[in-house]
Amino acid sequence: MSDAEQPMDDHVPGEEQGFEPIEVFPEAEDMDLRPGADNCYKCSTCDTNCPVAEVDDEFPGPKFQGPEQWRLKRQEDHDIDESVMKCSNCMRCDSACPSEVPLSQMHNTARAEYVEENMSKLSREYWRNRMLSNYRKLAPLAATFPRTANFVMGLSATQWMGEKVMGIASEREFPEFATQTFRAWWTERGGNDTSRERARAARARRGEETENPHKRIAYFHGCYSNYNTPEVAKALVRVYEHLGYAVMVPEQSCSGTPMFANGMLEDARRAAETNVRELADAIENGADIVASCSSCSMSIRQEYPELFDFEGTEGVAANTWDAVEYLRVHEDLKDELEGTAVDAEFAYHAPCHARNQGLDGQTVEVLSAIDGIDVEDVGDSCSGISGTYGWKEENYETSMKIGEEMFEHMEDAEATTGLTECPTCSMQMGHGTGYEITHTLEVLEAALVD
Amino acid sequence: MAHDTEVLVLGGGSTGCGIARDLAMRGLEVTLVERGNLTDGTTGRMHGLLHSGGRYAVSDQASAVECIEENEILREIAGHCVELTGGLFVQRPEDPDDYFREKLEGCRDCDIPARVLSGREAREVEPYLAKDVKRAIQVPDGAVDPFRLCVANAIDAENYGARIETHAEVIDLLRDGDDIYGVTVRHDSGPGKHTHKTPGTTEDITAEYVVNATGAWAGQIGAMADLDVEVRPSKGVMTIMNVRQVDTVINRCRPKGDADIIVPHETTAILGTTDEEVSDPDDYPEEKWEVDMMIDTLSELVPILEEARTIRSFWGVRPLYEPPGRGTKDPTDITRDFFLLDHAERDGVSGMSSIVGGKFTTYRAMAEEISNHVCDQLGVRASCATAKEALPGSENLAVLEEGMDDFGLRSPIARRSKQRLGSRSQEVLETDDPNPVVCQCEGVTRAEVQDAIEQSGSDLNAVRIRTRASMGNCQGGFCCANMANELHPEYDEETTREALDELFQERWKGERHALWGEQLSQAMLNYALHATTMNRDNDPASRTEGVDYGVFDSGAQTASPARSDGGKRTDGGDRADGSRSSSDLRSDGGER
Ligand SMILES: Cc1cc2nc3c(=O)[nH]c(=O)nc-3n(C[C@H](O)[C@H](O)[C@H](O)COP(=O)(O)OP(=O)(O)OC[C@H]3O[C@@H](n4cnc5c(N)ncnc54)[C@H](O)[C@@H]3O)c2cc1C
Ligand code: SF4
Ligand code: SF4
Repeated sequence: MSDAEQPMDDHVPGEEQGFEPIEVFPEAEDMDLRPGADNCYKCSTCDTNCPVAEVDDEFPGPKFQGPEQWRLKRQEDHDIDESVMKCSNCMRCDSACPSEVPLSQMHNTARAEYVEENMSKLSREYWRNRMLSNYRKLAPLAATFPRTANFVMGLSATQWMGEKVMGIASEREFPEFATQTFRAWWTERGGNDTSRERARAARARRGEETENPHKRIAYFHGCYSNYNTPEVAKALVRVYEHLGYAVMVPEQSCSGTPMFANGMLEDARRAAETNVRELADAIENGADIVASCSSCSMSIRQEYPELFDFEGTEGVAANTWDAVEYLRVHEDLKDELEGTAVDAEFAYHAPCHARNQGLDGQTVEVLSAIDGIDVEDVGDSCSGISGTYGWKEENYETSMKIGEEMFEHMEDAEATTGLTECPTCSMQMGHGTGYEITHTLEVLEAALVD
Repeated sequence: MAHDTEVLVLGGGSTGCGIARDLAMRGLEVTLVERGNLTDGTTGRMHGLLHSGGRYAVSDQASAVECIEENEILREIAGHCVELTGGLFVQRPEDPDDYFREKLEGCRDCDIPARVLSGREAREVEPYLAKDVKRAIQVPDGAVDPFRLCVANAIDAENYGARIETHAEVIDLLRDGDDIYGVTVRHDSGPGKHTHKTPGTTEDITAEYVVNATGAWAGQIGAMADLDVEVRPSKGVMTIMNVRQVDTVINRCRPKGDADIIVPHETTAILGTTDEEVSDPDDYPEEKWEVDMMIDTLSELVPILEEARTIRSFWGVRPLYEPPGRGTKDPTDITRDFFLLDHAERDGVSGMSSIVGGKFTTYRAMAEEISNHVCDQLGVRASCATAKEALPGSENLAVLEEGMDDFGLRSPIARRSKQRLGSRSQEVLETDDPNPVVCQCEGVTRAEVQDAIEQSGSDLNAVRIRTRASMGNCQGGFCCANMANELHPEYDEETTREALDELFQERWKGERHALWGEQLSQAMLNYALHATTMNRDNDPASRTEGVDYGVFDSGAQTASPARSDGGKRTDGGDRADGSRSSSDLRSDGGER
């Protein structure tokens, strides 16, 4: 360390006049979250709300995984406990904590560090997790040949291969791919221009000002409604257009949710960078952002600002909404739904990520304005799948154990159709009960749009 | 006359323990007596900075040279007590350039490795430094755990045959004419390992030579034999942050000032300190402004401190000494050097020397010099080996680092445990029994707590300083009871309860000085928890009289003039028995 040649004048190397140190935290992986542990006073409320800790004794729970682990860490240490991979990233702990401990930010950052330092890049888990979290990268391929993909994915040999080679639970059915993606449909339909026309027509029909620059939304559809359930995306478009909104569909990447959950923070960063750029543009053009998937909206609103600081991240987060929430705030939905009728019964599950955004009550409330409908909330338990979590063979049992309460409640309910806003919750609901599962927007479409 | 021991060392701080180890290693028969726990005095209440010498490089170069030499030795022999954090002397725009230059030159004069960093480079090392820091000098400062180091010295002394008596207060010096030949001690609980509630005894211990290493209390000991030892105790405050905002020792680079160092210590960061003369080392005011000033001043260097959570504050007293006739006014100007006062030379009273002054970093060199002196007095020819022989826990650390065994613990807990236990890790942590975490904040397991109990008996404060259990953010709220539980069944219920009270009181003592923001929430939660789950706001078990169960059945008979229960109430109003000996806050071991 001795440095005898060091000049002893007052010149400070590299420190020119007006120099402003930049980017103290250039990478989220380097983020020092130890100060976040200050808020924790160890009440353990988070632990009692964690669905994984409830069924898995090996999982130490959010308090250890978050504030305790961070506090025990030193700057240079890279010994994140492997149990962080057992956390399903449901983020229930976040909303449970009375003291604003940034739990999921700590989990996400710790998980990234764990994956970076401890998980062998050659290991099966690493590639399996990377494949699951980059589902969007594989999906386009499958969507190009949906029938073949569905056929291949369904073959029992493939499922067995999945488990043995990749560690994907063979009990799971792979999601079916639609024969036409939402974006293909959108382009075919004439894209943003068509939507503008339709919105204008709707406004005329509704007796509103035909030119209304405020009635403009940019739709973040995410991966699943693009590749697998375009009917949800289409429902959103039709409902919004019906109410006089012009819909834009910007370029977009995966929201990042599955990547955070798998500690693939680099992949998530790349995706988020595209999304922030494109969505910021849309906001610039006068649109608000809406998402039909509760994990996508959660990710953009909460995780982006916690983990990244691209230009515009905060603005995008502040202007992003859940699609139903947006209508509740900006329209008189009760009035719109007055006199509409849908004859159906639903067993509704509020996804954790909707709960975290304070949206767990809205579906039942909004739909109750429709005649003939019966929506029963099946309680506040977690479905247990949490994105890619329940897909892993080692988590399958835990995932099904967590979901048990929900399955039971669904079976106890009158309805034989499920309802939720989260695509993976919907898979789990279907998997556990054999029911058809619908999205709230599809019900609104049925009520409002003829 | 046959003596009980060859050398009797008074005081179980770093100085006393260091001397005991040194002499025992040279083959002498040594007894050490300490009135509380090891580290009960200043050693347990210091800042934890392993000086590189940089701090003294301008004002006191002799000390600086000694510091860097000892710094290098301690890294070798006490690796498990030392963290090589490195240190920065940080200059803010308003701090003088001249001094910065003098500091750098001083470091080079004293062979202290020093390197200049730009403000930006300094912020790369420590991102939470203020944006406008001008530049910094990087030096090999470190962090040291005084508890572990002191205990390791004592354990090793015992390994070489020494007798270490804690909770043994010297109440008199045995003097025969002009010769001191021993002391009278009062055992808190009888000789040997400390157990609460064992009735106290006194014992005369005679020795060929007595070493008074009682630091700030040396004057009091001297007075027992009518000797004048002019220690000038000077207090300093330190505030403990909940987390490490910095991983490097941060010093302010300016001539002199209070509140100018931040030391990362284990899971925490410690802010310090001040310097103010006090008259009684056992009784001085602990004031809020001192804490506020500390946080405010150091926030100029590390702004997030302003908002950060503090978990406690504590005060220590420096055993400053000034040779007669210097008359220095400001305690900061009194030398940090140590003095060996041979009372034969000074006062014509043979058989005893007193050590005063000095600092923790150089304890080993001090001990060596004093041991040489003692050997001269006793006519023993033996040389010092303490600079070469690793302390228990620090042997073969390189091997330990390579070892991947986590003993079935979660990785951060395993890492912390191994850092504390050093080469003793395997011996302590390898167990077939369940090994749950007892203290979650600091990641301390049952095996480690049990190991400490084996060493120190039922004194949970002694367990605390060995393990760090209860030193985290809950300040014992969640773990004190778990720790007390570990005493049972070896110790009975009454002992266990008393140990719990004593520990919890000690934790509260420092936490009182951090009652705002998060730590206030913590204290409220701790209170509720103890009150509602253990009934500790009004524990019937701590009453000396029995509980009057009758009133539970029929309700309190307030209307009845002829109360048969003698006025006892069950609502907590009557606690005349005073069964919580909480007033005894002194015998609490070191701080943190
Ligand atoms: C605020 C502060 C910060 C400091 N920071 C640093 C630092 O960062 N780095 C550094 O190197 N140094 C530091 N020092 C200095 C260092 O702490 C002391 O120099 C050193 O700990 C003194 O150790 P000691 O063994 O001489 O005294 P002590 O540790 O005080 O030991 C004396 C012992 O004698 C015992 N005793 C007293 N009376 C009796 C009796 N009648 N019978 C039996 N035993 C008795 C006491 O209980 C005590 O345990 C600091 C000091 C202070 C006050
Ligand atoms: S995110 Fe969900 S699974 Fe993970 S710790 Fe929090 S509550 Fe538990
Ligand atoms: S809920 Fe919040 S404050 Fe309570 S233990 Fe968990 S993280 Fe800490």
